[in-house]
Amino acid sequence: MTQRLYSAFKFALPLILLLIFWEFCVQFFQVNARVFPSIEAVFNAGVEAVKDGSIFAHIVASLGRVAVGTLLAVVVSIPLGVAMGLNPIVSDFLSPLFRFFSVLAGIAWIPIATLWFGYGFGAITFVIFNAVFFVVTYNTLLGVASIPMPLRNAAASLGANGWTLLTQVILPGALPNIVTGIRTGLGFAWRGLIAAEMIATNVGLGYMLFLARDFYKTEVIVLGMIIIGLIWLAIDRLILAPVERATIERWGMVRRA
Amino acid sequence: MMILLKAWSVYLRIAAKFPIIQTILPFIPLVIAWALVTEYEVFPRAFLPGPVDVINAFGTLTYKGVLTQYLEDSVVRLAVGASVGVAIGIPLGLLIGLSDRVREAVWPILLFFQAIGDIAWLPILLVWFGFSLTTMTLIIVYTVLFPIVLNTSLGVRSVSTDLHRAALSLGASKLRVVWEVVLPGALPNIMTGLRNGLGYGWRALIATEIIVGTSGIGFMMFDARRAGSVVEILLGMVVLGTLWYVVDSWVLAPIERATGKRWGLVTQ
Amino acid sequence: MGSGYAMKNLTIQNVSKTYFDPYAGANVTAVHDISLKVNQGEFISIVGPSGCGKTTLLNMIAGFLPISGGSINIDDKPIKGPGADRGVVFQTFALFPWKTVGENVGFGPRMRGLPKKECDQIALEFLSLVGLEHVAQKYPNELSGGMQQRVGVVRALANNPDVLLMDEPFASVDAQTRMTLQEELTKIWQERRPTILFITHDVAESVFLADRVVVLSKGRVLEDMPIQLQRPRVWENLIEDDAFKALSSQVLSKVRSA
Repeated sequence: MTQRLYSAFKFALPLILLLIFWEFCVQFFQVNARVFPSIEAVFNAGVEAVKDGSIFAHIVASLGRVAVGTLLAVVVSIPLGVAMGLNPIVSDFLSPLFRFFSVLAGIAWIPIATLWFGYGFGAITFVIFNAVFFVVTYNTLLGVASIPMPLRNAAASLGANGWTLLTQVILPGALPNIVTGIRTGLGFAWRGLIAAEMIATNVGLGYMLFLARDFYKTEVIVLGMIIIGLIWLAIDRLILAPVERATIERWGMVRRA
Repeated sequence: MMILLKAWSVYLRIAAKFPIIQTILPFIPLVIAWALVTEYEVFPRAFLPGPVDVINAFGTLTYKGVLTQYLEDSVVRLAVGASVGVAIGIPLGLLIGLSDRVREAVWPILLFFQAIGDIAWLPILLVWFGFSLTTMTLIIVYTVLFPIVLNTSLGVRSVSTDLHRAALSLGASKLRVVWEVVLPGALPNIMTGLRNGLGYGWRALIATEIIVGTSGIGFMMFDARRAGSVVEILLGMVVLGTLWYVVDSWVLAPIERATGKRWGLVTQ
Repeated sequence: MGSGYAMKNLTIQNVSKTYFDPYAGANVTAVHDISLKVNQGEFISIVGPSGCGKTTLLNMIAGFLPISGGSINIDDKPIKGPGADRGVVFQTFALFPWKTVGENVGFGPRMRGLPKKECDQIALEFLSLVGLEHVAQKYPNELSGGMQQRVGVVRALANNPDVLLMDEPFASVDAQTRMTLQEELTKIWQERRPTILFITHDVAESVFLADRVVVLSKGRVLEDMPIQLQRPRVWENLIEDDAFKALSSQVLSKVRSA
């Protein structure tokens, strides 16, 4: 336990030093508050935002969109990816399509999404769905397709078929790729979210940043950036990385292709 | 049934000779489906124009020189941003990979700033530099930096100790070891970082152009959206996707594979 | 092909190595006290069970690890870190995969500043010692393990080191190839007379190759045994030779008793 505390401390130390450096620079160079805020200003802005509840509104809106979009996408793309990946002919044939659309993931869909769904929750969730869907499907497809045939044959010769084959062999076998896909997709989704919120809505972290810019309220901008960073770090370190560790590394598996 | 199988084997043989066919073929049914959907007006024409409309728009805009200009703008911005990102990223990655001390000091900071993400910097960059080329370039540099630094440092650390020692025992100075052994040894990973970085950079560029651009493909899409002209949005997406797909699959990926294979470092 | 080596002796005096093991949370002594004198042109084998400190000793001589106590001198000059005067042959071959075989062998001369043409020539000269001049343009991963290690050996030799340090160099190679490599090594040694320090855990190999076998145990020298077998040494002959068998079993019992 103390080992983990120690490594957490080691991780935090450079960041703490950075904070001290930040404050020092602002004070020493008498930086204009409009150019870069002091720690105190950011802290006050944070307190304000908590008091009037706006920060919670933004965070909930952003997280809500990400959660809904991602969940929808995962629920659709994993079965689809598995179905496509099982047949080598189908997976070979469809791969280029999914690679193509992975590139357009997220942000490029913003203009058309706002046209089709108008501004707000619908468009942004669509963008997020998009960002996650193609990447996860493609990775699932790859994962399933690259399960060695001997492994599937071995399972079949041991009496596995249909549902058991799926849950005992296919899904676990493709899991490293699926998890990688989700992690990548979530990264695209988070970025796409911030970008979309800047132009397509009136609540959310991206919107908060963009609005503050209009009023040169740099302390709000910096506050927003820190919150965005912390949330992503939390998601990545506390949820995604442990899941990856628990499944992939524990099973000693290697990500294929 | 036999006929189908025979056709399939003919297809496979042609595809082996001309791999480009394998890439293009899946898109044909997609385009056909698209054309059918628009033909039967499943969605209003204003919402989803057909492939023919998009091709017409492509022709018109190219003829007017608009598309080529926008494309050029976008690509140049990416090239500039990527170059700066690479110029900073590779040395930084080298440093982090070579020195454990530097790594422990810098790594948490890197991770945190990577978590903030590229687009989140846009507002404050707008405050500092306004709606200028500097802002856009800086976003691209920022985006490209992280994959390159991370992959470079990974590559540096993956060069085996024995290779370091072999060079030292053959009379190389520490600096020469970096140049002769570490850099070449890390090259496959650097290529991966470059490929990823360019991919992220391309997306970040489009996002920036959509939000604050005055020219470029992303701007074209956003402007068209304001005018309610879906055709150009679709055209932009097709151009974006195709361009990146071509560059990534036929230039970047082969280079990445070739270095890894030649170095004998890729186990696949 | 003359010897081309100046008169240089290697003196290891009361060398010790202690380091802090974070997992054990305590200091670990890999080498307690080793003294050894290696004369110019000698072929010394160092044998011992795992953990006896032989690899640590080699790494200290090579300059890869700092010495905790004692001294290592070449002709009264203490060694300072790795250098071209102590060539190393690695168990993992450690050939640079992105350079051709010829570029690998010519690496040392290039580090010394010789022009490319000369480096290529030197490379070919040394590659012909092991009959590999024809693969000079190939890349290491196109060669078999045995061929790669031959390249590793001549790469180190091409730099004319004062001492050639070999760290279980044939352990990664199959048994047949190993025997061939051992015979080739003794042949090269007879022709050029470099000073060789050969680490191994294979007792028969150590007796086959060396003039002297040094048995290490728990970080100390247990025995320093001269090997007076005739050269050239060939496996078919020695396998039945009584003197060889006697020496081998002597060394083996020493190693086992450690």
